[in-house]
Formats: sequence, structure tokens, C-alpha cells
Amino acid sequence: MIQIKQLTKTYATKRALDGLDLTLGTGVTGLLGPNGAGKTTLLRCLATTLAPDRGTVDAFGLNPADRVQRTALRRRLGYLPQNPGSYPHFTAFDLVDYVAILKELTDRGHRHAEVRRVLAEVNLTDQAKTKVRKLSGGMRQRLALAQALLGEPDLLILDEPTVGLDPEQRMMFRALVSRLGQSRTVVLSTHQIEDVAALCERVVVMRDGRALFDGTPGRLAAVADGRVWLSDAPPATTQLFWRTADGRYRTLGTPPPAAEAAAPGVEDGYLMLLGEAA
Amino acid sequence: MSSWHIPDDLRERYLEGTLEPAQAMSVDAHLGRCAGCRAAVPYEKDWLEASWARLEAELITPRLSLPERFLRHGGVPDHLARLLSATPTLSRAWLTAVVAVLAFAVLAAREQAELLPAFLIAAPVLPLAGIALAYGPRVDPAHEWVAATPMSGSRLLLTRATAVLAVSVVLAGLASPLLPAPPGLAAAWLLPALAAAAGCLALSSRLPVPIAALAVGGVWLAIVGTGRLVGDWLAAFGPVPQIGYGVAALLLTYRLYRVSTR
Repeated sequence: MIQIKQLTKTYATKRALDGLDLTLGTGVTGLLGPNGAGKTTLLRCLATTLAPDRGTVDAFGLNPADRVQRTALRRRLGYLPQNPGSYPHFTAFDLVDYVAILKELTDRGHRHAEVRRVLAEVNLTDQAKTKVRKLSGGMRQRLALAQALLGEPDLLILDEPTVGLDPEQRMMFRALVSRLGQSRTVVLSTHQIEDVAALCERVVVMRDGRALFDGTPGRLAAVADGRVWLSDAPPATTQLFWRTADGRYRTLGTPPPAAEAAAPGVEDGYLMLLGEAA
Repeated sequence: MSSWHIPDDLRERYLEGTLEPAQAMSVDAHLGRCAGCRAAVPYEKDWLEASWARLEAELITPRLSLPERFLRHGGVPDHLARLLSATPTLSRAWLTAVVAVLAFAVLAAREQAELLPAFLIAAPVLPLAGIALAYGPRVDPAHEWVAATPMSGSRLLLTRATAVLAVSVVLAGLASPLLPAPPGLAAAWLLPALAAAAGCLALSSRLPVPIAALAVGGVWLAIVGTGRLVGDWLAAFGPVPQIGYGVAALLLTYRLYRVSTR
């Protein structure tokens, strides 16, 4: 169980987190929100790479503000940062092996077996001996995910994990994360609303460092109940609408003339929520 | 597909290992194609799994890089060798820069004896610069994920700083005999280098590493500059200051040890 209380972080004049309260349990929680909403700052505070200005994080009874407890917490977490750097001269195996050492897996046999396991989890066994600089963007993203899986962490923090993945890889990722979420806490931030709808049992929508919404994807979709419309002609108003693949217009808000109601999706609820909060 | 299968007597001899090599290879080849005959060959499950694991390890585990092989040959444990090989300041560019600075200082001193202090002043600064660039978000391309691991922070900094210091000291030590100076004076940079590195690491618990290195470097230049003010560049390398550097290095190393084991 992870309890976040009154978490606040300010960069110069920009308040990234504004007294955020949140509780995270076993399962997959998705963070949604526009750029600058505070998602990455929250994940960095959880990953212990950034200290908040105020407020507390209690993860599995450990307080990251304390040096010893912070180290203990780091033994139990896996973290995929938004911009995972790397050492281009390392091979894929070397890089994951390096992080395994940093995670205190010092026994060579056990460590190498664990490295092979996580490379297989992300389908990179065949690229184990390839230099990182020669891997494609999607492969590097999977490699970054592999290092986060080392040691089967209790808390998995994934910041935009599906960036650069092709549709097949995203399906594989969803299967992997949903399996991991059955027994541990997984928190991920994404701009891919379909990923949230597909694999998160809980979604938190953030804006200006606060939680605008906290509930299931179904409840988020329900925010737009009775406010999604399909019509053959575009609406005359300036409200949000777009042309769909079948040539019809999908409108959020007031129904255009001769429009028919449509079932709302998670994206509709998200857009409605942000529109109301603006 | 052949309808022929390995007869019982042939299989027995194969298992006993009494077949001629050509016959054994023929049986091997058949076993590779025939699931029925493979099923009839008993094997130890644990042995087979262990063999596959060894084979997989051999095929997937890459060869070690030259620096790692060198370190392991020198008795450094494999996990430490890998850690050190990722130290940003142990890159080829850094080593080239250190060698260039030392070579320039040696050549200048050999050309003009009055320039000897340049080497003695520069040698303690090199490990400081190396430590400043060994750890942190601006110098380590993978710092963000490194920072979320239990080894991050002072433990990793200490490990990398030790490697940087060792490399710098060895290179400066190799260059010292080339100086036109008696051995004692040519090695007068060593204790200041150790004290400066320990001071930088001790300060890094309160300041970012580059700032700590700049502060200690500034103190070092101020000490040397004071010597110049009393009329002798080499005053800062005399016996009494050397005792001071030695004591400072010991005390600061002790403090580091206390902080790291707290």
C-alpha cells in the first residue's frame, strides 16, 4: 500500500504538484493528464529520484525522506523513466546486467539468469548481444522496461512506457503489465488513452498538480454520458468535434441538429472532464 | 521420413558409450529427427535443464569489454568491474584529456625548469575534475534510472571516485619520473591529490558533486597562490604542508568512512 499525502513540488514559479493526496494498492493505476499536469513529477517522487517540497510518501511502510528507508524502498521498486538514457557502447545484456548490479544482484550466476529472464519477458533475447546504439527506438524502450522488471519489484513505476512501441509490441506490453498488476502495484502515466482503457482498473486524471478524477475507466467514460453525439453535418458551434473514419461528426457537449446519441468512451470522458475543468 | 528406428541393442551400446564414433554420430543424427527414439533414450531432467542453462548463458552472455577484462584480470570482482566500466569519466575521451594535460605539463617542465609547478598544481586537480564528472544527472546519461536503485548516491559515487582517483594517480605517477626534479619533489602532488579527492567527496554529502569539486579546487589554487605570494611557487609542496595534506587526507577519509557506514 502506498499513501501520498499533501504532496507538493514547485519548480521555480511552476507548481508541479499541489497538495496531492492519493492511495495506491495492488493493481494497475493509470495517470492521465495534459503535459505539465504533474504526472512525471509524481512518478519521480514515488521513484525516490526527486524530493518533494512538502507532503509525505509512505510506500510499504517506508518513508523515502529517510536515507536508510529510501534505500530499502529502492530495493522494492522498478522504474522506467520518461526519457530513459543509456550507455550506447553497452550491449543490451550489459546494460540490464549493469542495472542488476545497481540493484544489488551481485551473484553472477543468479544475476545473469535474471537478466536473461527480463530480456525474454520483453522479447529481446535475440538482441542481447546487440549494442544499444544499434537498437531501434521501440527496442530501446523495451530494454528500459526490462531493467524495470529486474528483481520482480513490488512497485513498478512506468512513465510513458508505450512511447515508440508498434501495435504488436503494445499488445505484448499490455499482456505483461496486466499480469504483473495481479500481484503488485503498477502505476503508469501515458497519453495513450486506449492503453488506460485496456489495462488499468483505476485511472487518475491530473491537472495542475491535482487529481481531477479518481475512479475506474468505466466511470471516467460515464462523465460524458448523454453528451456524445454523431451527426452527418458538423456542428455550427465552437464546441469540440471531429470527423470520424466513416465520414460522420462526433461532437462532445450540446447535440448538433439531427444528431444521434453515441456511447461514450474513456477518451470522451477525459476530454469532457478537462473541458469542464478549463 | 524414415521408418527405421534405433534397435534396442544399438541404443544400449549408445548409452554405454561403447559405439564407434561414426556409429554414435549416426545415432545422434537420427535422434535429432526422430521424437519416438528420443523418448526411448532415458535422461536426467535436472542435468538436461542445467546443460541448456549453461548453453544459453554461453550463447547470450556477451564477451567482456577490454577495460572489464583488465579489471577482472587484476582481481576486481566481476560486478565491480562492470560498475566501473560505466563510469562516465573513465571513457576514452577523459583518459585522453588526462594524458594530454600531463604530457603537456611534463614537456613544459622539461623545456623550462621554472614550469615544474604547473605539473604539481595540475596533478591534484585532474582527479577532482574526474570525480566532478563521474556522477550526476548532467554527466551520466542513465542517471535517472540509476538514481532509483539502492546502489545510487554516495555508494556509487564513492566507487566511481575511487576508480577515477586510482586511474589519475597511476597516470600522474607514470609521468612523474619524466620530470626534471628529484623523486621527492616530483611526487609532491600525491598527498595534495588524495586530500583534495577526499575533501571533495566529504563535501558532496552537502553540495552537488561539481560544486564540491569547484570549491576544493579553489581552495587548492588559493593554497598554491599563497606560496607564490611568499615568493616561491614550490612553498606549498614543502615538508610541513605535506604533513598537513597527509593529515587532512586521513581525517577526511575517516569522515567519509563514518558517513558511508552510518
